[in-house]
Amino acid sequence: MENGPIHILLADDDEDDRLFFKDVFDELKINTVVNMVNDGEELMEYLSRNDNTLPHILFLDLNMPFKSGLECLIEIKKMNHLKDLAIAIYSTSASEKEIEETFVNGANIYIKKPSDFGTLKKILSEVITINWQYQTSGLNRDNFLMSI
Amino acid sequence: MKFYIKYDFNAACKKILEEQLDKAGVSYTLLGSREVEIKQSISTKKMNLLCVGLGNYGIEIIESQKNILVQKIKDTIVEMVYLDETQSPLRASDYLSEKLQYSYGYLSNLFSEVTFTSIENFIILQKIERAKQLITTTEFSVSEIAWELNYSSVAHFCTQFKGVTGLTPTVFQRIIKKRRKLLNEETDNEMIVDTKNNKIKDS
Amino acid sequence: MISKLNRMRIMAITANHIFLRSIFAASLFILIFISGITYRNTVSLTESMEWVVQSYKFQTEVEQLFSLLKDAENEQRGFLIAGDSAFLENYLESRKSVVKSFAKLDSSLTGNPQQQNNLKFLNQLIDLRLQQYDLSLKYSSDLFLNQEELTANMKKGSEITNLIDIQIDKIIDLEKSNLKERQEKYEFKSFFVPWFTLFIMLFSLSVFVLAYVKINSDLEEQKRSNKKLLISTESMKHAEAIGEFFISQWDLKSNRFIFSDNLYRLLGCEPQSFEATAENFLKFVHPDDKYIVTNGSDSTRQSGLVFPRTYRIIRKDGELRYFKSMGKIITDSRGNLTHVSVAKDITQYQLNNIALEKRNQELLQSISELESFNHVASHDLQEPLRKIQTFISRISEKDNLIMDEKSKEYFARIQASVNRMRTLIDDLLLYSRTTKTDKSFERTDLNMLLENTIQELSQQIEEKNAVIHSENLPFLKVIPFQIQQLFYNLISNSLKYSKEGVAPVINVNCRKLEPRENPEILSETGRNYYKISVSDNGMGFEQDYAKKVFELFNRLHPKGDYPGTGIGLSICKKIAENHSGVILAESTPNEGATFSVFLPA
Repeated sequence: MENGPIHILLADDDEDDRLFFKDVFDELKINTVVNMVNDGEELMEYLSRNDNTLPHILFLDLNMPFKSGLECLIEIKKMNHLKDLAIAIYSTSASEKEIEETFVNGANIYIKKPSDFGTLKKILSEVITINWQYQTSGLNRDNFLMSI
Repeated sequence: MKFYIKYDFNAACKKILEEQLDKAGVSYTLLGSREVEIKQSISTKKMNLLCVGLGNYGIEIIESQKNILVQKIKDTIVEMVYLDETQSPLRASDYLSEKLQYSYGYLSNLFSEVTFTSIENFIILQKIERAKQLITTTEFSVSEIAWELNYSSVAHFCTQFKGVTGLTPTVFQRIIKKRRKLLNEETDNEMIVDTKNNKIKDS
Repeated sequence: MISKLNRMRIMAITANHIFLRSIFAASLFILIFISGITYRNTVSLTESMEWVVQSYKFQTEVEQLFSLLKDAENEQRGFLIAGDSAFLENYLESRKSVVKSFAKLDSSLTGNPQQQNNLKFLNQLIDLRLQQYDLSLKYSSDLFLNQEELTANMKKGSEITNLIDIQIDKIIDLEKSNLKERQEKYEFKSFFVPWFTLFIMLFSLSVFVLAYVKINSDLEEQKRSNKKLLISTESMKHAEAIGEFFISQWDLKSNRFIFSDNLYRLLGCEPQSFEATAENFLKFVHPDDKYIVTNGSDSTRQSGLVFPRTYRIIRKDGELRYFKSMGKIITDSRGNLTHVSVAKDITQYQLNNIALEKRNQELLQSISELESFNHVASHDLQEPLRKIQTFISRISEKDNLIMDEKSKEYFARIQASVNRMRTLIDDLLLYSRTTKTDKSFERTDLNMLLENTIQELSQQIEEKNAVIHSENLPFLKVIPFQIQQLFYNLISNSLKYSKEGVAPVINVNCRKLEPRENPEILSETGRNYYKISVSDNGMGFEQDYAKKVFELFNRLHPKGDYPGTGIGLSICKKIAENHSGVILAESTPNEGATFSVFLPA
């Protein structure tokens, strides 16, 4: 496994979801550092600050105040220094069209928020693992698309 | 003007490796594309420099034996997946144990221990990775790709593809196409904007 | 159309006109000609008659003369023989009569030069004879009776008398022959003239009859045309009244208007109650719309094209009406331009339109509100539900060991209910997405949609070893994601409701229907439809439920037996309706089911 901790960033305005998220990673045996922001603007601010260690993977909710997840996604994709950032959309149910749209705009993963804690744990663990695989096994990042 | 680039990773990496090793002033021999034998003992400082230098290119030096073997397993698997369908082995397990001279059971356990996933999963992952590559770089139909990758049926291929990515091959294809289109539009816009910098205007 | 007919009529009439004039002129000429000829004939006839009479008179006179002459001679002889002075007196009488008679002859000369010569000669002879008479008398006087002289004289006298006789015969013969000639001529004329006159008469009679017939028939035709015109005009007037429109004609040359009666009525006035001018009409036009009418007129005048215009009118009684007018420039046979325009009172229609528009807007707004409500409700309802589910799963996982059996069971049931609610809302959301008005129809390859569906279901297909056969599907103008959803639902159902232990075999067939083959529901439209049927060998259902299966949330099996909420087929029905088609179900228990979708071509 990765030598250092995997840096994870979550952008979600919902308190409960943040709670679940944290709990999952507390229970998972993977070496992770989890940070959170509450809305789109905070997210962009966080990513623009150079002193922060950039996350390896970003979990991005779509329905956020001030700036929607989609807007953030598009912006992030335009930023050079965030090119290697894996982006996982983490959202409640959305139509096929919306899912496709996020992929087209550069998302790597789409996660539909599950309604069972066990499932959430499994999904997040899988995502982290796969993402790490992509980062280490020379797989083509451009083709990294996953929908859960 | 737009160009389409094809990469020969091996050649590029080899070159980088050679450059970096030369820069570090190390005498070495390349054993294949993944192994380097360094003829002398090397100081930690130099090693670090070398690591950093190679790290810039995303090249890692794997030290632990286990890691090395695991890496070999991965490489073999990749090799196997990218074989022509006429040469594809009937069973991956036989192929691996033969190539690496270890029992499949041992390889399997080691792999799981280090990577936390199974060899089977990794094989599937690689196959699907190749499928993705075929989808994005060729005009093959889904059934053609399924055949190329030695799947017993298109349905089986679709199931696996969907199992790994969560998307059907067709949808994946569509998304890649749309993505490309979007990027093209963006770069076109950028290029038009860059006329002041005397870049060529692409209409 | 009307002007063409008129033009033809005008031509016909003028043709008749010319014909009439020519006939009249011809008849007049013929009449005069006949009169002239007849007069001439009559005159010549009379002349001939007169001449004949003259001739006879002449002859008679000539013979009279001769007899008188003879009398004179006889008297002379008598005197010479008897010496009676009575004879002498008679002789002198006769001698006077001869001279008188001859004088008469002279005056009744017929102009014949030959005859004149004869008479001249006769005159000479008579004179000579008379001379002889006188000589004879002289010789016979008592004084000296010259017997020889007397005899010679008497001989000479009788010779002359013979000559006179001959001459008179000659005259009479000539006269007779002349007479004969004249008579023949007269006879010919008297034969010829009446016949000729009769012929001319008949000819002119026939001409008159012909002319009469022609004029009569023309008159009849004109009567008929007039009648038709009258009926036409009357019908037009009625049509105007019934159809609530009016006609106005504008002679562009003279700038004169003709307004139909209904124009006045539609403006709330008495027919022809004011002068037909543009200004008077404009008085009734709504001030804001006056420009529409005047601009229209101006542009018409210039370009000859007339566009439909709608404008408002304020009637005499103050009521507001909407008029729509259209017109055309017509050129008559003399090249005059007339602008004929028809305007209709479309108030009711316009008001209806406005009301409809308003209603449409309201409906659209209603729909959009409903949709957003639907969407928001479904979406926002899901969030808390999801949380509930997650927390419950968390608790039951974490505290599994410390919970007692009853609590575990309760939690399980809570989970089940919440799950059910979640699924229902998911399905509702799916259903509401299907009813969105934003429907973008595209020409799509249905084979591709089916292919995508099969890929999506690849896992279930593999698990059940299902086989799917499909015929070639057409390209149709559809909403792609909806038709794909339809295929997904149908095939997913076929897979779900397969027979126990039997691998599902699903057939997708397609056929273009003849209009007569359309199912009853669609038979009125007369369009062409494609029938796409998805049939399986699954467990089927009672045909009695064929309609019920499409009802929202309706299920034919107990709740827990098969996954799903029963919304799949309702969505299929909605999708079919969105595409102006229908979906029908046929099935027999244990023998599979066939779902037929009818989509317009």
